Amino acid sequence: MSHVVEIPVGPQHPALHEPILFRLLVEGERIVRVVPSIGYNHRGIEKLAETNTFVKGLYICGRVCGICNIVHATTYTMAIERIQGVEVPPRARYLRVLVNELERIHSHMLIVAVMAEVLGFESLFMLIMRDREAVMQLKELVTGNRVLGDYLIFGGVRRDIDDAVAHRILRTLDHIEERVRYYRRVFEEDVTINKRLRGVGPISRAEAVRYCLVGPTARGSGVETDVRAEDPYEAYGELEFNVVTYPDGDSWSRMMVRIDEILESIEIIRQVLKRLPQGQAVPKTFKRALPKGEAIARAEAPRGELVYHVISDGKPTPYRVKIRTPSMANVINGIVAFKDAYIADAPAIIASFDPCISCMERVVEVVDLDKRKSTVVSLRELAGWRG
Amino acid sequence: MRLPKAALLREVLSNLLRRPVTIEYPKVPIEPERGFRGRHVVDGNKCIGCRLCAVECPTGAIEMRKYPQKEKPVPVIHYDLCIFCYHCVYVCPVKAYITTGNRYMPTPDRGEMVGEPVFKSEGENIKVKY
Repeated sequence: MSHVVEIPVGPQHPALHEPILFRLLVEGERIVRVVPSIGYNHRGIEKLAETNTFVKGLYICGRVCGICNIVHATTYTMAIERIQGVEVPPRARYLRVLVNELERIHSHMLIVAVMAEVLGFESLFMLIMRDREAVMQLKELVTGNRVLGDYLIFGGVRRDIDDAVAHRILRTLDHIEERVRYYRRVFEEDVTINKRLRGVGPISRAEAVRYCLVGPTARGSGVETDVRAEDPYEAYGELEFNVVTYPDGDSWSRMMVRIDEILESIEIIRQVLKRLPQGQAVPKTFKRALPKGEAIARAEAPRGELVYHVISDGKPTPYRVKIRTPSMANVINGIVAFKDAYIADAPAIIASFDPCISCMERVVEVVDLDKRKSTVVSLRELAGWRG
Repeated sequence: MRLPKAALLREVLSNLLRRPVTIEYPKVPIEPERGFRGRHVVDGNKCIGCRLCAVECPTGAIEMRKYPQKEKPVPVIHYDLCIFCYHCVYVCPVKAYITTGNRYMPTPDRGEMVGEPVFKSEGENIKVKY
């Protein structure tokens, strides 16, 4: 008879510096079952959006997550514009793509760096973070703040860029591209990284589809899913880019998808700056009132598909703002990847999902996947669990 | 397969000989990028007292205060509440906000966290404290 021991990982930074608890049930060194519990970071942000006006909601939604604030604002704005029936000028659509891709670059660079740190490769972590700083500065140059962009407004963007800024972006991206190609080679060929990541936490293509994984996590399993390509929003329909997929589905593939996506994003930004249409991007004023109606908007956040469902009942405040973030699907359902993994590999698997805990803290529902069957852990069990 | 390890080693060694990338902040000042959203105040002369910024401020950091120089109340910004989203700057119909790149916030005196409007007399150049 084997003996199953439980090891709690978290809630104080399990791999990433964010609060989430993974209860690992281990048999010897093998993980037999994982139960994630979330809710340490719940801030009631959807309720907050309901009690504030639509315009204030734009800034609230921009603060759902620090790393992906622009894409949250973009998706919320898209939903509002659909209800209002507002047409966005072409230049503004291109500028939105520009800031979204800058955000994707720095978000992916962050997780690639954090993965290196999780593996104990701290010099690589420092090197990537050093280069990431240049992207943050570009974001500061374009939006006015290195983290919280607050760049969008209903019907356009709040600032325009000039030739000097465009030139600076291109020059910095040349440098970033060179560096990212170098890090790609390190991830591809370094012995330590290969030993720690290859074949660790495999998710098959069928599992990725069945458990509704999104974003780089699904693309790392060979599922060709990308909202930018499937349902082009803003100016993505007019730009050419590839959907990066890797067939293996292990942690290494998920990281390589992200590194390749940085290179794709750099290409997208170059196209944006080359084809940037002339005209007005900053609206002089914007519509504040919303008619009755509802809209669903989806966008490709750095971590996967982000969905906003905004319902307006004609009042100054929204009736409902439902946010569905990619980390929710990836972290909760992604525990299938822990099957038969070693305890020592758990941080690498967790980091390979690029979980954004502050993003996903909206629902308390935990799906617990056994080796063979899946069960739902009740709220009571979750709250009163003592082992 | 074993070569890149040496490549990374070269990178690490070259960094040993370089100056640190970290900016030694209090000794070396950090210059913000052009257009950085720092402390901002209202030009009291330009302001028409429409209250739009105070109404739409996401955190309610703007207080409309009465000043002897002006008939209508003028916005006063409380930086301890402000999130520097610059929505006020964007919505102002007369572009009355004076923006700075000042990102220095720590202070022992909470009274300094208030951005009083600047009034200028005839022919005087506007001076912002920050």
